[in-house]
Amino acid sequence: MTETSDIGLRVADELAICGVKLVASLPDNWLMDIIATVDRDDRFTHVPVNREESAIGLCSGAYMGAMGSAALMGASGFMTVIYAITKINYTYEIPLLLLLTLRGAVGDHHKHHLSNGLYLEKVFDAINLPYQVIASKDDIPMISRCYRHTRTFSRPMAAVFTRDLLRGGH
Amino acid sequence: MKYVEALSVLAKLRTDEIVITSAGNSGQAWWAATRDTEATFYLDASMSLSTMFASGLALAQPELKIWAFMGDGAFCMNPGMLMVEQQMNLPNLTHILLSNRAYGATSNAALPNVVNNDYGAIARGMGLTRVFTFDKLDTLSRDFSAACQHNVAGHTFIVLEVEPFSAADQKLEQPPIEAPELKFRFGRYVESRTGCDIFGYRL
Repeated sequence: MTETSDIGLRVADELAICGVKLVASLPDNWLMDIIATVDRDDRFTHVPVNREESAIGLCSGAYMGAMGSAALMGASGFMTVIYAITKINYTYEIPLLLLLTLRGAVGDHHKHHLSNGLYLEKVFDAINLPYQVIASKDDIPMISRCYRHTRTFSRPMAAVFTRDLLRGGH
Repeated sequence: MKYVEALSVLAKLRTDEIVITSAGNSGQAWWAATRDTEATFYLDASMSLSTMFASGLALAQPELKIWAFMGDGAFCMNPGMLMVEQQMNLPNLTHILLSNRAYGATSNAALPNVVNNDYGAIARGMGLTRVFTFDKLDTLSRDFSAACQHNVAGHTFIVLEVEPFSAADQKLEQPPIEAPELKFRFGRYVESRTGCDIFGYRL
């Protein structure tokens, strides 16, 4: 097992600890190990969705049925869900755990994520969405704390993975 | 058939179904027909996401039967939702598409490609098999319950071809419930029906 290939299992274990049963996902290359791990893990119902907003709807409905959930998507996908989050989760005060990627930060090799590097964290701030950067294995237990925070404050929160954690620091 | 009359028919046929309304006119029409303050989640702020919301709830509580309304304006924004619905194939979910061929909540503004849109065909093209269309009140009254029976293998997609809201319909009252109160009223109702624990505490 490589240094990064057990990250998916560590994240899955953390999600299970805090009671997540449903994971709705859209792919991002950095997330593929987590998505594959969740997909083959019987502790979860994994639903690949057609667009990121659908993940917001699914997870919000699951909350109203007392099922723990997480929406897993890349930074670009998050940029498309501002309407859904602010309209559904903010209006009705429905908690939601988002698992995102810190695209566009130092170490991202892809020029087309420049916009995420420039604006992702500013968008979090603009809509008052709390977020926690998950940069190392030692940070993974923070996912549970983020999840509980969403339930305490009845709002969404994001746990944001760095490339160094998911793909190594090369 | 008239929009409000169609939903009044469904209100009469309803037994214990949970209802999720959509952005558009369905919340107004359902409120007019039922005055339901417990077993309906008026998800007015939800363009194209009412059935995804309903799918999450249906997955979480498989013993509940759920009707999810959606306008065709919302449908046009996210038809790929049917791919997710078909993949999940939840037998306790009925997706009810209110096809008024307009963006009803915005003064009946024009929909794209409105003459050609065949919502049933789109659904079948994504693999759905339990697809039904109603365009008359008498057949709706007679056959709707059989179409969305809940002992079937998979989820159901029903198209109701309705007239757009009239100017008088547009003045129907919106459900007068603040969103956080709605969340708790509906959530407490789901808790009482299922014994589940949504909020982590009981009063």
